[in-house]
Amino acid sequence: MVYRIGIDIGGAFTDLVGYDDETGELVWVKDETTPHDPSIGVLRTISKSGIDFSKVFSIIHGQTLVINTIIERKGAKVGLITTKGFRDVLELQRSNRRDMYNFRYQKPDPIVPRYLRLEVEERVTADGEILKPMKEEDVENALERFVKEGVESICISFINSYANPNHELRAGEIVQGRVDAPVTLGHEITREWREYERTMTAVLNAYVKPKLIKYLTKLEEAFKERGFKRSPFVMLSNGGVATFDIAKKFPIYTIESGPVAGVIGGVYIAKLVGDSNVIILDGGSTTTKASLVEGLIPRVHTEYYVERTKTSAGYPVRVPVVDTFEIGNGGTSIAWIDSIGNLRVGPKAAGAYPGPACYGKGGTEPTVTDAYVVNGLINPEYLLGGAMRIHKKLAYDVIEQKVADHYNISVQEAAEGIIKLANENAAFAIRVVSVQRGYDPRDFTLIVHGGSGPMFAPFIAQELEIKKIIVPVIPPGVFSAWGMLTTDIRHDLVYTEIVRLDKEPAIRKINDIYSRLEMKILEIFREELGVGEVVIQRYADMRYYGQEHTVKVPILSGNIDAEEINVIVNRFHEYHEREYAFRLEGPVEIVNFHVVGEYKIRKFELKEIENPAESSDDALIGERRVYLNGDDLTLSVYNKQKLSPRFKINGPAIIEDPTSTVLVLDTQKVSVDKYGNVIISESGGI
Amino acid sequence: MSKSDLFTLEIIKSGLITANEEMFYAFGRTAKSPVIYEVLDYAVAMTNSDGDLIAQAPGVPGFSGVLDFAAREVLDKWNGELFPGDVVGLNVPYKSGTHLNDVTLAMPVFYKDELLSIILNKGHWSEVGGMHFGSWTSDSTEIYQEGILLPCIKLYKEGKPNKDVIDIILENSRLPQHTLGDMEAQVASMKVASRRVERLVEKYGIEMVKKAMEKILADGYRLALLNISKLPKGVFEAEDYIDDDGLTDNPVYVKVRVTISENEFVADFTGSGSAKGSIASPYAATVSGVRETYIAVTDPHIHFNGGYFRPLKVIAPPGSVFHPVKPTPTSTYWESMAYATDLVWKALAPHVPDKLTAGHFLSILATILGGVDNRIGEPFAIVEPQPGGWGAGYDKDGESGLVACGDGETFIASNEVYEKRMPIMVDRYCLNVEGGTGHGKFRGGFGVIKDYRVLCDEAYFTVSIGRSKFPPWGVAGGMDGTPNYCVIFKHGEEPKVTRKVAALKLRKGEVVSLRSGGGGGWGDPLERDPERVRMDVKNEYITIKVAKEIYGVVLHPNTLEIDWDATNELRQKIKRERQKKTTK
Repeated sequence: MVYRIGIDIGGAFTDLVGYDDETGELVWVKDETTPHDPSIGVLRTISKSGIDFSKVFSIIHGQTLVINTIIERKGAKVGLITTKGFRDVLELQRSNRRDMYNFRYQKPDPIVPRYLRLEVEERVTADGEILKPMKEEDVENALERFVKEGVESICISFINSYANPNHELRAGEIVQGRVDAPVTLGHEITREWREYERTMTAVLNAYVKPKLIKYLTKLEEAFKERGFKRSPFVMLSNGGVATFDIAKKFPIYTIESGPVAGVIGGVYIAKLVGDSNVIILDGGSTTTKASLVEGLIPRVHTEYYVERTKTSAGYPVRVPVVDTFEIGNGGTSIAWIDSIGNLRVGPKAAGAYPGPACYGKGGTEPTVTDAYVVNGLINPEYLLGGAMRIHKKLAYDVIEQKVADHYNISVQEAAEGIIKLANENAAFAIRVVSVQRGYDPRDFTLIVHGGSGPMFAPFIAQELEIKKIIVPVIPPGVFSAWGMLTTDIRHDLVYTEIVRLDKEPAIRKINDIYSRLEMKILEIFREELGVGEVVIQRYADMRYYGQEHTVKVPILSGNIDAEEINVIVNRFHEYHEREYAFRLEGPVEIVNFHVVGEYKIRKFELKEIENPAESSDDALIGERRVYLNGDDLTLSVYNKQKLSPRFKINGPAIIEDPTSTVLVLDTQKVSVDKYGNVIISESGGI
Repeated sequence: MSKSDLFTLEIIKSGLITANEEMFYAFGRTAKSPVIYEVLDYAVAMTNSDGDLIAQAPGVPGFSGVLDFAAREVLDKWNGELFPGDVVGLNVPYKSGTHLNDVTLAMPVFYKDELLSIILNKGHWSEVGGMHFGSWTSDSTEIYQEGILLPCIKLYKEGKPNKDVIDIILENSRLPQHTLGDMEAQVASMKVASRRVERLVEKYGIEMVKKAMEKILADGYRLALLNISKLPKGVFEAEDYIDDDGLTDNPVYVKVRVTISENEFVADFTGSGSAKGSIASPYAATVSGVRETYIAVTDPHIHFNGGYFRPLKVIAPPGSVFHPVKPTPTSTYWESMAYATDLVWKALAPHVPDKLTAGHFLSILATILGGVDNRIGEPFAIVEPQPGGWGAGYDKDGESGLVACGDGETFIASNEVYEKRMPIMVDRYCLNVEGGTGHGKFRGGFGVIKDYRVLCDEAYFTVSIGRSKFPPWGVAGGMDGTPNYCVIFKHGEEPKVTRKVAALKLRKGEVVSLRSGGGGGWGDPLERDPERVRMDVKNEYITIKVAKEIYGVVLHPNTLEIDWDATNELRQKIKRERQKKTTK
């Protein structure tokens, strides 16, 4: 027995998936998230799993502590040292009024109050030349002030430090060890230009650092106590993993720790079934997330924002993040009636506490789950394999009182209205990642997971004319945790230097920068793991000279010569045209050099189904009365875990496992591949 | 209506709204001019067959009111003569426009022979001819100097480009390729929306889609009445001055009379003066400006539509600065349009405190710094607005360094990017605390200071700064804010304070310092929580002297502890002195 384990903390549940490398057996546990101290929930899933930790080969952890600490403003007291003349960068931000008709709009809080933003006489030019040497006395004075004010974490971020970090490094040396507070240097987090974005990213890193250090240390010790001998990993936002030590130094890299694992797992499934263009939909309990992946390579960008909504500018976080779009629509989203009597669903959700009314934990608002229960779409006996008690009467009553009575319609009609609107919301998330970015959703396969994803998918596919849906063999409700097991150790370095490709000495510069970044990445891997077999990929953020927006272009490794430059330029034109629908004459330049290093960890393989059942009767659980499109129907219910490649099912039908339910519509049919992945397609189609 | 239709209509409604958003993104993605895809200086919309606004996605709030005017102009002129595949172009300011650079395209959507909708896209074209490069200017005296006028003409007929007309337009442009590219991108984005509407019709049927449009308007109207019912009723007035009339140094008097009743919201600008220069706001732009405040006071998060605007009436006498007539130039119309927004805001602020703040710095502070970088022989140009201080609310301090009401999701550029790209250095970019702000129980936010140092041999600087003579207004005893201005530091000359500069030559090492003002305060400064005053001093937003003299708060100079006894005593003393003054 050699286990690898993924642990994912979500809004309502903490999931653990253990995979036995020898037997191929999958163990999973789902338990409530404990927001006040998430480690409690983590350790509880471990106990429940019954896995012997001395036999665990690796642990990968995705947490929400970083993002929650920021959202709840529960981080450390940070002191910022910055360049003279630029003390207010955090407060000025980019000055945009995102909520443009709201005259009482409030900017995001600057995180560090003005009296803890202290200036140092120093100046580096955009070309990295030192215009004014740093006045070390100013750093000393700042330090003294920080000590007096009880600062818990220090950040140093100077203008143009992306071009020359020497002053930041020197200031760091002065501060290091003199005060009981971790130090974050701006250029260490990102070497991208834009002072507000880089400084805010570094400040947020400093803000969450003390808390994350404490949390990870606690888990590490708990793992060790249980007999785990190795170094555990954390999930990074770039879709890779890193050791706890790296995460303690750069906690901000883990800001989207959990959600991206589902994307990586989705790509694994896509590769397995041979679909290279997929949209991965994660329908959770409070949110729905969509990610479009073309050619099996998740789009990793550094234009991430935390807390950005339609009404708030949010905070920029310039670390590599797998591109996902999220909306407030999930299984526990609340249905409500607006001021002029129209039914709405979300973005407010009941979450785990108090949860949907049918959980019987005091929820008094109708949710999407309540609607599913009332109309028979989910099996009240079978949620979490029967571990969770469902009160159908409570669901019925709350929809009757809060929705049906208002419109003077039947409870089932009201429930169907809630379901339709939730489906529409989920479809919107897919439109955002496809249509709004110039892709046609009909060209993609939909891979769905999450507790509510499989329920939304058949409706969305119909609405958007998506031809094929895959519900992975892994229980959809713990898919993200499983996705962690499919990841590699990955680091990204992004470095801003503007190089015009039509000017000398472009070729030399490009080669120099890439080889420098690659050395640096190898060094990181050596320090972290003592390994050298690292797969390196290069990218460049490129644009037309004079424009602001860039396009990420893959670059071949090895020495780049004049001929290769031409290839790169042509590739840029191609990518630009796809993303922006036009190409221009004129010079092209590289803005950011992006290097990715990956160390492949031993992967498991999904096992083919042994002894597949001959007849669909073997998977048939029974029948259920369902209200759908205004009709009372009696549908066959199948156990997803017993489906077999040997037979097909025609819709309408229900397929369920302990973590989720799929409602196959009447125009759809179901087949199963040799691994047990469920494939739903339009009857007329493939 | 059957019961299940109830929710289907909601789905069609959201389909129509997202069709607009998709058109918005499609244009932003495919346009060739940075002013479109970076400044978002465009808006898209959809109306029903009567020209009633169904949904709109604007990039800047100033465009919230002009597109349905354009739809009506199209329907009036082409009544019965529109066909599938037609695209009508229009930019004449006086009926439905803003300035000539903003060209609206309109595309009818048919189902069989029935006109279902007009789809609209208004975008800032970089070049439409006229007396100066870029077409818009501040020194024009007639519209004819500002470019080519497109009087609601067909650019495409039944799907085919109207080559004769397009050739005339291109021949009049200094950047014909940009002009053509932007026009084509506009048309392509409109097709995205029309296809979506057609799909909705295929799926749900023409009657359901029409019903959904009716429901959008009916819901909009109901919501508007509901929201208006929450506003105070009565007549509210405000007056102000625009710094100058665009040509001379004379201020322009402006006023508004807002009447709110159960089912109407009327803004009447009768009595306002007129302008000779290009600052006048065309009627549709004035309506847009008023709609911005109307949305802000009723529900800032509304998906607005024609029904929502039905209770709103805007009266602006022809010939006034809010309703120019031909051939008045309108290039810098935003200067007056901002006052349409601000006057209604000022009239209502004390009465709708949960939605409005005290006055803000208002002016876009449109800045151009450019020339040729002689070090590499290439042209460069910074074209940007400046952020400034916003007014205090009844329960909050004003925001610092935020773009003006005429701008929305507009990003101020990064200094590091400028320093890398342009032959300039930013000596400092910080809050304009030395310029002060409108003090009050809650104080205004601060403006900014941005110092540009020229690093190449020569550069040219243009700026148009408003609210330099007449600062942002305070509310309920809060003090007025502080003015916007700029200071020019030239070699061998005294620093020069100014507000309007046209193409001033700067040499290497010379500096321009842009300074925006602080917003107005709300409430008596003597009522400000001394703890907040102490923090303002600690944060160096105000000096210990201001704390004492304006706020009546006495702080220990070293520890910054509040001396409560001295504070109470001082505050009472200041109050007594004020009474003495008023009784005198």
